[in-house]
Amino acid sequence: MSRRLKISIFRHNPRDPRSVPRLVDYELDERPGMTLFIALNAIRDTQAPDLNFDFVCRAGVCGACAMVIDGRPGLACRTLTSTLPAAFSLYPLPVFRLVADLSVDTGSWMRELAERLQTWVHLDAEPDLDRLEARMEPALAEAVYELDRCIECGCCIAACATAQMREGFVGAVGLVKIARFRLDSADTRDDADFYELVGNDEGIFGCMSLLACNDLCPKELPLQTQLAWLRRKMAGQGVRWLRRG
Amino acid sequence: MNVAKRTFDAVIVGAGGAGLRAALQLSEAGLKTAVLTKVFPTRSHTVAAQGGVAASLGNSTEDNWHWHMYDTVKGSDWLGDQDAIEFMCKKANEVVIELEHYGMPFDRTDNGKIYQRPFGGHSMNYGQAPVMRSCAAADRTGHAMLHALYQRNVRANTQFFVEWMALDLIRDADGDVLGVTAMEMETGEVSIFHAKATIFATGGAGRIYYSSTNAFINTGDGVGMAARAGIPLEDMEFWQFHPTGVAGAGVLITEGVRGEGGILRNAQGERFMERYAPNLKDLASRDVVSRAMTTEINEGRGCGPDKDHVLLDITHLAPDTIMKRLPGIREIAIQFAGVDPIKAPIPVVPTCHYQMGGIPTNYKGQVVVPKDGNPNSPVAGFYAAGECACASVHGANRLGTNSLLDLLVFGKSAGETVVEDFQSGQLKLKPLPADAADVSLARLARLDGQTNGESVFDVGLEMRRTMQKHAGVFRFDNLLKEGVQKIGEVAERAKRTQIADKSKVWNVARMEALELDNLIEVARATMVSAEARKESRGAHVRDDAPDTAENPNGRDDANWLKHTLWYSEGNRLDYKPVNLKPLSDDVEPIALAKRTY
Repeated sequence: MSRRLKISIFRHNPRDPRSVPRLVDYELDERPGMTLFIALNAIRDTQAPDLNFDFVCRAGVCGACAMVIDGRPGLACRTLTSTLPAAFSLYPLPVFRLVADLSVDTGSWMRELAERLQTWVHLDAEPDLDRLEARMEPALAEAVYELDRCIECGCCIAACATAQMREGFVGAVGLVKIARFRLDSADTRDDADFYELVGNDEGIFGCMSLLACNDLCPKELPLQTQLAWLRRKMAGQGVRWLRRG
Repeated sequence: MNVAKRTFDAVIVGAGGAGLRAALQLSEAGLKTAVLTKVFPTRSHTVAAQGGVAASLGNSTEDNWHWHMYDTVKGSDWLGDQDAIEFMCKKANEVVIELEHYGMPFDRTDNGKIYQRPFGGHSMNYGQAPVMRSCAAADRTGHAMLHALYQRNVRANTQFFVEWMALDLIRDADGDVLGVTAMEMETGEVSIFHAKATIFATGGAGRIYYSSTNAFINTGDGVGMAARAGIPLEDMEFWQFHPTGVAGAGVLITEGVRGEGGILRNAQGERFMERYAPNLKDLASRDVVSRAMTTEINEGRGCGPDKDHVLLDITHLAPDTIMKRLPGIREIAIQFAGVDPIKAPIPVVPTCHYQMGGIPTNYKGQVVVPKDGNPNSPVAGFYAAGECACASVHGANRLGTNSLLDLLVFGKSAGETVVEDFQSGQLKLKPLPADAADVSLARLARLDGQTNGESVFDVGLEMRRTMQKHAGVFRFDNLLKEGVQKIGEVAERAKRTQIADKSKVWNVARMEALELDNLIEVARATMVSAEARKESRGAHVRDDAPDTAENPNGRDDANWLKHTLWYSEGNRLDYKPVNLKPLSDDVEPIALAKRTY
């Protein structure tokens, strides 16, 4: 028998002076295979045309639809309602600027991060397009690809205690990017360069190893290993500098 | 309403693959550029592309651009322009290697080169056997590409206007393009973006169909804006139905699955593609496979309790291969179809996927219209690239992996043309007409003042159902005629849409109403162009144009080897010749032939 779902949704539009933050309940009948993408669109189409939320790809690859689902950050498009109780809540991700209702501005945050951490491959010279591609070991390519799968959804930031307390903390998303470019044989930066970027409390030394990011990452990136590895490398770099005096 | 004016050297609408590639060219050349986008760049729909990007690198099997060009012309059922196709296939290696240097994490072969996989319609030696031409980053090629392009744009300090929706194209009395009006979604304020050059990279309009792999943002905004501003739309009757959308969910399963050895089976477990395409079988061109699947379903050999889908089987592949080459697909199958493809086949059905037609352009990315006897006269200041544009490289049917290639090659080409025109002083900032924002303001005022109107959702649903029923995988003369009538009625209803919420701030309902205006232009263009084309070609196959000796596959070159041009005003059709002459003397024209796989 199909369930009647009661979804309590956080509603607030900070640009509207009359708006107050509140929870509003919406009810609908559950259908087989129903995802939160389907449920939220059904609510918008029939009950709340002004409800704000973000979806683009609906296949868990664009990272637009992260929200706090029944208390845990996750991707709404990939969450089946059948995995949730009949009554549950939806909140926008914390840390990021609230746009309205379930929609937050992860974009500005990610752009700022990209500029601060210079998250692009640093080359010695402009690519010579008459030459063939630069060779890369398949195993290395696979390792780089594995970390490049990050969709910048913001779940790791929303789940992170440090990010909630310390504005400017780059979080798992920032650190995993550094790990990704550090691995990449095409990138000319060395550990000293990366230390400049993340060898501080806003970077790897701000991480308290609570690892909620690792548990909640929708792409199941190996954040635990990467954070530990980066900490070791960055600490090593710090020690080298201390010794050199 | 107060309308702010902002001035730039160039404005780009859209920040998917084509927009980002064009933006990079402009930013690195130092042009003051604004990129308008409805969503943050890395959320754009390019992110959903899975299987790969075509380039004849020849890393795994022998290959060259001549073969790629032949496959593309044949894939287009000879409706593609051979100058643009030659240009694209020749440039493919360059743009892919460039991207590799930008950090795109391609899979590698054992000797460290970019990994390539077979893909539908791509062959060696002019159709003899499948070739490995699709450069892939596992099954998330679009994601890897979009992020690499975005990172490079951050490096180049490209300025994005995120969550801005372009509303209308601004043209002056000469017909030259001077920029766009756009609405900041957060405040509802309208601004004019006044520029020397305007590049549209707004993607496709797959949301005109009920069942679509496209994201909700794919509402053909650029195509609709161009049509309203008097630019004709080219070859809009040609829509690609991807063979393998997850049944019921519409989410895409890449052709790369068949490239890795996946097989389509009907209810009897038969590999039915052997009957339809004896050579390439499951790797035949997409239109061929989609029609074969639809025929199987129509003739009662579909699977499931409603016999309404077929099965994509990879259970014979090694689990390691699936985990390594198709991890995202496994994730999607488990999530959206409830099956683990290592153990059971995936239910799939042809699903609307790609718009072959669009804003007419040449290979330089310039928008071209008929003028003074020249069918391809450039519109000053206006450029387009990617799915919204029609260069035309895909003609009547696009080959898989040629879309990512299209957006790289023509995004770059449009960017290069703008930079050249800018540096030569050819591009001028022409004065804005006094009424530059009037069309947009009138549209908004109409929405605000509408009473006794219709809901955007209802009208949109009627449009999607009409398109699905009357202009689907197979087309029928009587359904098309009725469809023209019906879509005209839907378009009238769309003029009276009403929204309950009239607030300016983050008004989703208003945005959806404005998007519907764009979708409606695309839907009308599609239906009217399809009804008029009395032949079968590529993705457009009619019941009254069957396979005969004089018209093989129902294709009628004597009367229909020409591009359709649809004008919104007056719902009028015109035609222009297909360019059968390549760009250079490096290659002979690919002669007309019957298309078989």
